[in-house]
Amino acid sequence: MPEPIAATAAQLASDVALPATKRATEREESRGTFWALVTGGLLFVVAGWFLPWFVEVTANGVGFSPQDVVSSSPTGIGTVFVYLIGVAMVALLVGAVYDLVCLRLHRGEPFRYSRARAALAAAGAVSTVVVWYLIGVQREEPLFGNISSFALTDNAVWMELTGMTILAIVYGVREWIVAHAALAFGGVIFIIGALFPFIFNASIGFISWGASAAAIYVLLGLGLNVVVGFAGLLDLGYAAFFAIGAYTAGSMASPRHGLYLPFWVILFLGAAVAALFGAILGAPTLRLRGDYLAIVTLGFGEIIPDMATNNLFGQTGGPEGITGVSHPAVPGITDLHGNHVSLLGHDLFGYDFEINPKAYFWLLLIVIVAVVFLLRNLERSRVGRAWAAIREDEVAAAATGINTVRSKLLAFAIGASVSGFAGAIYGAQFGGVTPDEFEFAVSITVLTVVVLGGIGNSTGVAVGAILLSFIIFWALPHMQEWTTTFGHTTGITTLSTIDYNKFQYVVYGVILISIMLARPAGLLPSRARKVELQSGTESEALASVRGTV
Amino acid sequence: MPSVDTAAVATRVRRAPTTYSRIRYANNLASQAFPAVLIGVLILMVVIVAIQDGTTTAVSELRNGLTIGAIYALIAVGYTMVYGIIELINFAHGDVFTLSAFYAILFTRLLDRMGFSLDDLATLHGVPGFVATMVILLPATMLAAGITGMLIERIAYRRLRNSPRLAPLITAIGVSFLIEGVMFADFGSANVRTGKENWIRGNAFTIGGVTVSWKDVFVVAAALGLMFALQAFVRYTRLGKAMRATAQDRDAALLSGININRTIAATFFIGSALAAAGAIIFSIKDDIVVWNLGFRFGIIAFTCAVLGGIGNIVGAGMGGFLVGVIAVFGAQLVGSAWDNSIIFAMLIIVLTFRPVGLLGMRVADRA
Repeated sequence: MPEPIAATAAQLASDVALPATKRATEREESRGTFWALVTGGLLFVVAGWFLPWFVEVTANGVGFSPQDVVSSSPTGIGTVFVYLIGVAMVALLVGAVYDLVCLRLHRGEPFRYSRARAALAAAGAVSTVVVWYLIGVQREEPLFGNISSFALTDNAVWMELTGMTILAIVYGVREWIVAHAALAFGGVIFIIGALFPFIFNASIGFISWGASAAAIYVLLGLGLNVVVGFAGLLDLGYAAFFAIGAYTAGSMASPRHGLYLPFWVILFLGAAVAALFGAILGAPTLRLRGDYLAIVTLGFGEIIPDMATNNLFGQTGGPEGITGVSHPAVPGITDLHGNHVSLLGHDLFGYDFEINPKAYFWLLLIVIVAVVFLLRNLERSRVGRAWAAIREDEVAAAATGINTVRSKLLAFAIGASVSGFAGAIYGAQFGGVTPDEFEFAVSITVLTVVVLGGIGNSTGVAVGAILLSFIIFWALPHMQEWTTTFGHTTGITTLSTIDYNKFQYVVYGVILISIMLARPAGLLPSRARKVELQSGTESEALASVRGTV
Repeated sequence: MPSVDTAAVATRVRRAPTTYSRIRYANNLASQAFPAVLIGVLILMVVIVAIQDGTTTAVSELRNGLTIGAIYALIAVGYTMVYGIIELINFAHGDVFTLSAFYAILFTRLLDRMGFSLDDLATLHGVPGFVATMVILLPATMLAAGITGMLIERIAYRRLRNSPRLAPLITAIGVSFLIEGVMFADFGSANVRTGKENWIRGNAFTIGGVTVSWKDVFVVAAALGLMFALQAFVRYTRLGKAMRATAQDRDAALLSGININRTIAATFFIGSALAAAGAIIFSIKDDIVVWNLGFRFGIIAFTCAVLGGIGNIVGAGMGGFLVGVIAVFGAQLVGSAWDNSIIFAMLIIVLTFRPVGLLGMRVADRA
């Protein structure tokens, strides 16, 4: 009986082959992550170390070291350039060396190879700490003579050492990174994000507007992604929930109602109220499918700001909105007599945010990390699978026993609660809430963030939000400045005579169109979506005609 | 994706009514009775306004509602056609409307520079002069707008036809920004007078103490005429048939030899041309356009299309007039600050009770 044996053999082969190929693709993707990390580290090295040597000193005594570039370029674009050039250079140089070294070492003993990596990592970490300390000493007393701004800035050393460390650590824990690609990527993004305010220390405008706006949009995008990406419900009125969160938070900590609850309570109250409204406003849409649902949400997105503008029930303050919203503060530790416990002259733990943009940025970052963590888990939970099923085919989902009503309402509520967080922080940061901040344009921008980044993929949404807010809050307003400088430097003076402010909308439109045309599935498409997409490009009718179903 | 009417299946199986099935039944009843209820509410609004503010106000509000509704209807037709055929909310359509008004201004200026004043022709030679002006201006503007629409489709939408369904939505938003930006760069942020205010003068008749000017008559009549022409076109011509076939099932249409690309391009041409006609009619009626006018008009017109049952041309026309009238009366009853809210509240109510719109059509799922 040769046939059954052959069949079993084939089955065995496929059983073995399937996980193997899966592992291979996974490794392929992790390798991409790995190289991204390596490249990031290398960027620091070259930018910090080599550039100041190559570039001439300019007239005002400002050189081309990162710190100088930052201080001579208040919008921060110079910093970005330095970093980019550095990455490109070192990636070219070190990539080849790394390959050679690996080849050589790999032929012999794997054990010694991994020990070498560990030693490298440890050396990098130790030397970074040492040099960082030395820099601190140098600041107080120039130990090695005067430090001129162009020969060797402390930033250059700092960046170089940081880069070395990152590089070493990456080499050392490569296996771990391969095994936990997402976590490693997320961690690195978080660290870079946390260092943002330091990197752009000298560009005030970026810190106070760009970074916070980007973080707010990341948060909003993540929330909308639950509705649009996970559950597949198109929501065109997401700004309504943002508004509800902001107004709730605003009215609980302002002279409007004489209420002054602590911010940390309000943060969750705002989210809870937004979630409640998410469920309430989601209810009428339950029977609707597709674009009709989009239009109802659009309707709510128009009605809610209208209510705020028209001062419904006298609670919202009309077009001026709610003013005098208190800033968050971390209460200090008090002893039994009510005095603040202080350590070395500072109140222990006590901190008032006031209008320090960095504090809000870090607060947002923490909230984002928490939200990403929760949403990732949610996506993989029973609820998340129910959403995916509804997204794929609602009728089939209902037939398999999924409570579609509850799942959809949950999607709306959870999506809205995230924007409640965003609203609460937004209101507290700017000390007020006005209705025109929640217009249709905001809903559209958040939707653009989600689609541009990659529907259903949290990382993609974050990237989309950062890119879009970079364009809106940073590139477009500074277009004039940058082109003027560029024209001045290159001698093409005609560049600086154009009034770019007139063309902001045109440029924005062209950017949106070209990104979408170049990457129709978004910048970082979600893997599950990619599969859906490939099977969904042919409609069922045509596929059945062709016999491919 | 085939959608199973679960309610219909449920009614076929006989069993004791549960709470859930009773709700279902009530919902279906509401859905069927809805058009009548809507008309009833409309009449009630008219009556309340008539009692509260006098019949004169009611009639004049009705006139205002119908004239603005005519404009909405013309824009809504473009939305509904495009949606019907490629299932895309063409956010740029409202801006094509505004752009067309500027096209008309530019065209008039061009003729002026050539020593031929459309304004004189329209104002100094009575009705024949006005008709002649329309014969010159309408085709030119509609052609320009139609070509713009086709270009938009070619550049921004065609390549994304098999992409995720939200991708063309974002390019549509991009095109909207682009068009608004071009108008902003050329004409600035201030209101622009179109100079067509005096093209129609005089009053047609008086009804209930309200004078209805020829302008009002023209606006409504022109809109109705254009929409009837469109309906006839879609129903009786070969291209119209191709459009309907493509809207119904694109692959089947392709298999039966219809040139899909050309049909879709033609749809965009016609939709944009109608928006251009709407823009000229609007210029004659209100005389003022501004670069971002199309944004609000677009949203409202899309609401009209949904109200009427998206994909349905007659529905879009009806939706336009309904929204116009209800918005005006609603504003009269609760204050003009609630203008938008009334329109959208009505929309939400309609869709809650009758998810397919007045003259319904099934839509595909998104996202």
